[in-house]
Amino acid sequence: MKWLKLAIKNVLRNRRRALVTILITAVGVAAILIGGGFANFTYVSLKEMAARSSGHLIVAHKNYFDKEESVPMEFGLNDSNSLTKKLKSDEDIRYVIPKVEFTGLISNGEKSTIFMGSGVDPKYEFKVKGPFLTIDDGNILSKREKENNPQVMLGKKMAKYFNAKINDSLTLLSTTVDGSLNAIDVTVQGIFSTGIPELDKRSILVNINTAQSLLSTDKISNLALHLRETEATFSKYNKLTREYADLGWQTWLDTAFFYVGVKELYNRIFGLLGFIIIMMVFFSIYNTVNMSVVERTREIGTLRAIGTYSNEVTRNFVLEGLVISFIGASIGISIAALTSLGLSIAEIQMPPPPGRTSSYPLAVDIPVNLYLITAAIVTVVCIIASWLSSYKASNRSIVGALSHV
Amino acid sequence: MTNIIETKNISKQYEQGDLSVSALNDVNISLSNQAFAALLGPSGSGKSTLLNICGLIDKPTQGALYFCGENIADASDKELTTIRRNKLGFIFQGFNLVPVMSVYDNVEYPLILLGVGKKLRRERVTAMLETVGLLPFKKHLPDQVSGGQKQRVAIARALITQPRLVIADEPTANLDTQTATDIINLMYTMHKDFGTAFIIATHDERMSSHCNIEYQLHDGALQ
Ligand SMILES: Nc1ncnc2c1ncn2[C@@H]1O[C@H](COP(=O)(O)OP(=O)(O)OP(=O)(O)O)[C@@H](O)[C@H]1O
Ligand SMILES: [Mg+2]
Repeated sequence: MKWLKLAIKNVLRNRRRALVTILITAVGVAAILIGGGFANFTYVSLKEMAARSSGHLIVAHKNYFDKEESVPMEFGLNDSNSLTKKLKSDEDIRYVIPKVEFTGLISNGEKSTIFMGSGVDPKYEFKVKGPFLTIDDGNILSKREKENNPQVMLGKKMAKYFNAKINDSLTLLSTTVDGSLNAIDVTVQGIFSTGIPELDKRSILVNINTAQSLLSTDKISNLALHLRETEATFSKYNKLTREYADLGWQTWLDTAFFYVGVKELYNRIFGLLGFIIIMMVFFSIYNTVNMSVVERTREIGTLRAIGTYSNEVTRNFVLEGLVISFIGASIGISIAALTSLGLSIAEIQMPPPPGRTSSYPLAVDIPVNLYLITAAIVTVVCIIASWLSSYKASNRSIVGALSHV
Repeated sequence: MTNIIETKNISKQYEQGDLSVSALNDVNISLSNQAFAALLGPSGSGKSTLLNICGLIDKPTQGALYFCGENIADASDKELTTIRRNKLGFIFQGFNLVPVMSVYDNVEYPLILLGVGKKLRRERVTAMLETVGLLPFKKHLPDQVSGGQKQRVAIARALITQPRLVIADEPTANLDTQTATDIINLMYTMHKDFGTAFIIATHDERMSSHCNIEYQLHDGALQ
C-alpha cells in the first residue's frame, strides 16, 4: 500500500508526461476494444445469419454431403416424417424443416436461365430466416397454396432478368428422379434478396410440394435443425452423429464460407491493428519510465545506498508503470463501453461488406473476454516495459548514480 | 572488541582509457564503536573514495575490508545491501532526500525497508523528529524546508535504524557557518546518545574539536 502511494506520488511528479502516456494507453485500449467489439458484433451477426439460413444442423442421406448424385434425389431422405418426429421430441431442437434442393431451367417463354431452387415449408422457413431475407416485392409463399396454382419467389436479379412482376407466370423445367423431363407452371408470388448478388441471380423458392411433384418424388434433400441456442450446436452435433450414425450430418459452420472468410479477414486486420497499438503503448510506457529513471538516477543511488535492494527499486518503477497503465486502461475501457452504448442508441448504418448489397447497423459489442484479455495484455506489456527500462539503472554502480547530475 | 570497519592496505585505481588514476594508496584505518572520526584533506585527495568503500557502495581494487570483523570481499550486492540497510547510515553533502516524500516519510523509509511494524515506526519516527527538532515540519516536503533542516532530516534518516556506523561526506559543505555548527553539534549529540560511530569527510576545522580520531589524506595516502 505504501509502495503504491509512493508510486502514485512519483507518477504525479511529471504530470504532463504521465498524462500523455495515460492518454496514449487510453486511446489504444479504447481502439482495441471498439475494433474488437465491432468485429465481435459482426461475427455474431454473421454466425446468426449463417445458422438461420442453413439451420444449426443439417441431416441428410449418408452420401449427400460428399458424393455427387447421378440422378436427382439419389441421396434424398425417404420417410422423413418419422425422423422429423423423433428429432422434434428433443427439447433443444426448435424446428425441423425439410428442404428439397433442385436445379433446372426457368423460362418465361421468351428467355430462360438456370436456377437453383429450394423447395421449402412456408410454415417455418420464413420464420427462421427472419430479418436475414428481405422481401423486395410481393409476398412470401402462402402456407396453403392451391394445388393447381403453385407459387414461386424469385431472387431480385433473376426477377430483373425476366422483368417479372407479381402474378406473372413462369415455367420451371427439371429432370425427375427417373431421368425424364418435367415442367410445371408457377406464378410469381414475391421477390426477395439475400444480400448476396450471386444468389439473387439464381435462387428461387417454391413450396416443397411443388418441388417434389416437379421431381416426381416424395423424398426430401435434407432436414434443417434449428436449435434454441446457437452455442449448443457442436455438443448437439456430437450427440446426434453418434445417435444417427447411418445419416450424414453437417453444422452451419460447414457451409458458412462468408462467416469464415470475414472472420479470418477481420481477425487479421484487427489482430495486426491490436499488435501495433500494443507496441505503441509499450514504447510509450517504456519511454516514460525510462525518462523518469534517468531523471532520478541520483535518487536511485541514494535509495540503493541506504539499503534498498535493486529489485525493490525496479519493482517501484514497475508499480509506477502499472499505475499509469491502470488509469489509462480504465479510461480506455470506459470510452469503449460508452461508445458501444452510444452506438446502440444512435443506429448508424455501415456500408455493405464485400460481396453484399445490403448495409447493416454499426454496433459494437462489449465482449467481456476481450475486455479481460486486453486488460491483462496491457498489464503484462506495461510490466515488461517498465521492468526493461528500470532494470539496468537499478543495478548500475551506486557511486556512479550518486555522482550523476 | 572488534572494530566496525577495518581496512588492510586498500588501494583504488580508476582506469580512464590508457590512463590509470590512483585515488587511494595502501590506506589502513580502523574505526571502533566510539569513533567520531574526521577525514580531512584537500579536494581530490580521495576522501569520498575512502568513504564510499567504508560505506560498502564501492570496492577497493586492492586490499581487504573487514566489516564487524568479517572480510566482505566476496559479498554479493544483495548481501552488501543487507548490511547497509541494517548497520549503516548515510549523510550526503547534497542532502539527497526523496522529493516526493514528506519529512516524516523520508525518515520512516529505512524502517519500512527493515519491516518494522506501523505502530513502532510511528513512535520511533516521531521521537527522532523531536530529537532533531523537526516535528512541526513533519508534513512538509523537502523543498519546503531550509538547507539546515534538510540535513537534519538526512541525519534523522541515517540514525533512525540505530546503525553501527554513519558515513557523512561533507555534510556541512552546503550550509552557512551557523547552520554548519548546529549540524556538527547535532551529529556529535547523536554519536553520544546513540553510541553510533561516525566517519565524516570535511574541510571544516571546527569538526576537529569534537573528533576523537583524525585521518589526514593526501593524494590518496594517509599522512
Ligand atoms: N569515477 C571516477 N573516475 C575517475 N577518477 C575518479 C573518479 N572518482 C574520483 N576520481 C579521482 O580520484 C581522486 C579522488 O577523488 P575523491 O572524490 O575521492 O576526492 P575527494 O577528496 O572527495 O575530493 P573533494 O574534496 O573535492 O570531494 C581524484 O583525483 C578524482 O579525480
Ligand atoms: Mg568528495
